[in-house]
Amino acid sequence: MLSMQNISMVYRTDLVETHALREFSLEVEEGDFISVTGPSGSGKTTFLNIAGLLERFTGGRYELDGRDVSALSDAESSAVRNQKIGFIFQSFNLIPDLNLFDNVDVPLRYRGFKAAERKRRIEKVLEMVGLASRMKHLPSQLSGGQQQRVAIARALAGEPRFLLADEPTGNLDSHMAMSVMELIAEINRNGTTIIMVTHDPSLAEMANRNVHILDGRVSDNGADTQMAKQMVEQMAAQMANAATG
Amino acid sequence: MEIGPIWRAMMRNKTGAILIALQIAVTMAIMVNAISIMQERTRVMSRSTGIDEHNIFHIASIGFAEDFNERVTIEEDLAALRGMPGVVNAIQSNSLPLSGGGWSMGFQTEPGAEIDGTSAAVYFVDEHGLDTFGLNLLAGENFSQTDIAWRERSATDWPDKTLVTRAMAEALYPDDPDGALGKTIYVIDDDPVTIIGIIEQMQAPWNGWDGVERVVLTPTHTLFGSTRYIIRTEPGMRDEIMPQVEELLAERNKDRIVRSMRSMDETRERSYRADSSMIKMLTFTIVLLVAITALGIVGLASFSVNRRTRQIGTRRALGASKAAILRYFMTENFLISLVGVLVGAGLTVGLNMFMVETFSLTRISWYLVPAAMLILCIVGQIAVFQPARRASSVPPAVATRTV
Amino acid sequence: MFSYYLKLGWLSIRRNPFLSALMIAAIAVGIGASMTTITVNYLMSSNPIPQKSGSLFYVQLDSWDPNDQGDDGFDLIDQLTYLDAMALMKAGKAYRQIASNRSGLVLEPQGEDERPFSVDTRNTWADFFPMFDLRFQYGSGWDGSADRNLEKVVVLSKEINEKVFGGEDSVGRNLRLNGMDFRVVGVLDTFLPVPKFYDITNGAFNDPEEIYIPFNIAVEYELPRNGNTSCWKPTDGDGFEAFLNSECVWIQFWAELRSEQEKQEYMAFLDAYVEQQKELGRFPKPLNNQLSDVMEFMESQEVVEDDAQVMLGLSLMFLAVCLLNTIGLLLAKFLGKSGDIGLRRALGASRSSLFIQHMIESAMIGLGGGIVGLGLAWLGLRGIEMLFGDYIENMVGMDWVMVLTAVGLAIMSALLAGLYPTWRASRIAPASQLKTQ
Repeated sequence: MLSMQNISMVYRTDLVETHALREFSLEVEEGDFISVTGPSGSGKTTFLNIAGLLERFTGGRYELDGRDVSALSDAESSAVRNQKIGFIFQSFNLIPDLNLFDNVDVPLRYRGFKAAERKRRIEKVLEMVGLASRMKHLPSQLSGGQQQRVAIARALAGEPRFLLADEPTGNLDSHMAMSVMELIAEINRNGTTIIMVTHDPSLAEMANRNVHILDGRVSDNGADTQMAKQMVEQMAAQMANAATG
Repeated sequence: MEIGPIWRAMMRNKTGAILIALQIAVTMAIMVNAISIMQERTRVMSRSTGIDEHNIFHIASIGFAEDFNERVTIEEDLAALRGMPGVVNAIQSNSLPLSGGGWSMGFQTEPGAEIDGTSAAVYFVDEHGLDTFGLNLLAGENFSQTDIAWRERSATDWPDKTLVTRAMAEALYPDDPDGALGKTIYVIDDDPVTIIGIIEQMQAPWNGWDGVERVVLTPTHTLFGSTRYIIRTEPGMRDEIMPQVEELLAERNKDRIVRSMRSMDETRERSYRADSSMIKMLTFTIVLLVAITALGIVGLASFSVNRRTRQIGTRRALGASKAAILRYFMTENFLISLVGVLVGAGLTVGLNMFMVETFSLTRISWYLVPAAMLILCIVGQIAVFQPARRASSVPPAVATRTV
Repeated sequence: MFSYYLKLGWLSIRRNPFLSALMIAAIAVGIGASMTTITVNYLMSSNPIPQKSGSLFYVQLDSWDPNDQGDDGFDLIDQLTYLDAMALMKAGKAYRQIASNRSGLVLEPQGEDERPFSVDTRNTWADFFPMFDLRFQYGSGWDGSADRNLEKVVVLSKEINEKVFGGEDSVGRNLRLNGMDFRVVGVLDTFLPVPKFYDITNGAFNDPEEIYIPFNIAVEYELPRNGNTSCWKPTDGDGFEAFLNSECVWIQFWAELRSEQEKQEYMAFLDAYVEQQKELGRFPKPLNNQLSDVMEFMESQEVVEDDAQVMLGLSLMFLAVCLLNTIGLLLAKFLGKSGDIGLRRALGASRSSLFIQHMIESAMIGLGGGIVGLGLAWLGLRGIEMLFGDYIENMVGMDWVMVLTAVGLAIMSALLAGLYPTWRASRIAPASQLKTQ
């Protein structure tokens, strides 16, 4: 579904050339749950911005659903973000002056849906994250975990092709973090593709696959995560059991 | 467009919006009332005096010597003036329109001390008066030479013929102004005067008087010691002839002095100087005011945009194009302007009512209010365009920054 | 602490020069416009003779037509008839009194090639000079005997003395007016009352007259009258004599009454006089005598033009717009340095000390705006002078009262504008802005 080939990102100033990403390649299938890890300064944020079409890259090729999205105009890339990508930010990025309903509404407005359609979708996603009863509340009236759930609802409302999560639990305590991760895992089980950027190894384990970035390069691409290995082992064991009877 | 959410978000952070809306409202109130005043002054200033202004000038003659023979002086002066090449005609008079000083008397349709009269400005002229002023006689006839009397300073007798303006005829005989011709009116309670002609238009000396169109001409040469000559020249020759006349009169007779020679154009300018100054001051004020309000909007909008950088980045990430961001801020400002001009409309009318009451100004013409509303909304949009453009260029990557 | 706050305020202003300049400019423009119109109104309504304005009274008697209002729609006619003026002068019941009117005479300078020219003249009495506190450069006014004996004496203004006698001591010299020889008895020092309160009927802001001669001389020789003459009744017969005996009003009358008691006594005298005249068939209207002191008289004659008041109102509203502007800018500024404020709170500053600090900063900006505004007001007054020309050339200067008003108004406006932003700033929670989001 998503294909990045030899992406490179170079920041040039008068004095210095910084290579944030070099020859970065990634293939993502429908339904994947990918974690992208790496130390600070490794290029994770650059990857995130490029994957989310938030920034233009300097070299390589990026295909989304078979379409080359490398050199789109501002209006075109905005439309792609709006329709195909759902963002989840570390600091939630809810608009403080809008209530939950209006917050989830924001991307739907840019989509051009009619009022009835928007209402239906908003109610559905807020129901899904368990916050439908607080639709008219402001973000400041919610806990961190609840705010992130609203952000997730916002990301899902447009039925995107994949969710792009940036340290989704970075600003939450461990208890809230658990429940948010469970939500994300459930969303993936329901079929949504997820790409998650994190520096926390235990979170990275929850994904199916891990991509590790070091100095702008992929150091461990497509390696199965520990959890995936466990799952495969479990399945293998089950099959073996069934076979032996 | 997303008017609902924009409005709701604005309501939760009202201060900046209120400040701008109030500025717009007060600016509108000042602007519309100032323009109304300017319109009224312009209207007043553009009124015609009824005389041939561009070709008329006047000069005062003041006798002082023991043996100053005023009558002979006047007769000889007028003969000389009328004989000058380029001079159409000349008369001696006490005053002229817009000069600020003159005579007024009350005239009644019935004799008697208890009857209320209608006041009118009085100009002393001879049979050349109509031609010198360039007046248009609508009905009846001019004075003849035999009608003209010579009046000493403390005499009280009035000649029994008079010419009145149409406005005076309407004031005296509202039901039948044309029938004023031939009627007898009474000055100083019971001195009879017959209207032998009706003039189309002539103004009194006092431009602010509500009876400024009511004028009465009386066939009199005055012997008051000092007088004024009114001279009308051929078109275009006025400036050439003026110094000639001053020289001529000064030389002819050393028992008097001549002074205060002015063209009618200059008299008009001086007469309306306060009004034209008011217009200039108000224009300056309005321009300054709109500029300040516009700059205020630019400043506040910039500040407001800066505070919401993160939000803008988030919206961009969620799929807003640059144009969508621009539209957001333009719309937000438009809503504020709308509130501002609605409140402003109320303030404007209120202020105008107060000024009509206190200063007897005129009421504003109705179309000024919607026009001002439109203009201020447009000014607001222009002012917010720059900050809104800057907002739209906030990069989407701002959303992922952790600072 | 105060000087510390001053330093903080100064540093804050300097840190963002563009924003500070914008704020100062906003206030300055508002102050400039307001002070221009305030000064004009102030001068138009200022007391031209403060040391005596409470003891000089303008006399009005209602000798007018019972069927008609006075001229110009005023309730009470503003001049006296000759009969009444002379009767009051003769009775001499006030400490000092004068009847006066305006005239124009022709002055013939000595010297063959000198051309005669006309001079603005005031016909008045000996009391005029002490009553209105006039100072003399040379000589003095005439005394009562000159009035009685019809002596041809004249007092010159400083300017006329310069023009005719080159500014020398001309006392005793001869001056030819309207063909008659007058003797100079005094030359006035600079005299420029603004407004020209003693004769408002003929223009409240005109220049004062150029020469002064005894009233009785003007009457005796039937010298020309300049000024308003209004008659409601026909004169009985022709000629100057008939005019003097008529009900025409053309004379201004002032009385000096030094105490409330003197004022009451004089009022009683006026009432008795009018009652007596009523018995002779005059004064058909009900008794309505009026004694107005200088300020009361100017107010009743509406000396301050409507236009000036309208402009004052509009420019105060203009100031309000500038203030709204300033509130916005101050808000932007104070909230923009919320990090600094949060830090101070974390380090122990109380809310009220933050409030004071920022009010002081607002006041400093106000001071800057006031000073620049003064300059703008000066420009504004020059502009008005240019527009109106010789109408008001005597009028457009700022005295120290106006200067202080300007600065005070600016500071107060800035404080007012600063109230809300300062309050918002002081409510910033300690260290709230220090965390990076």
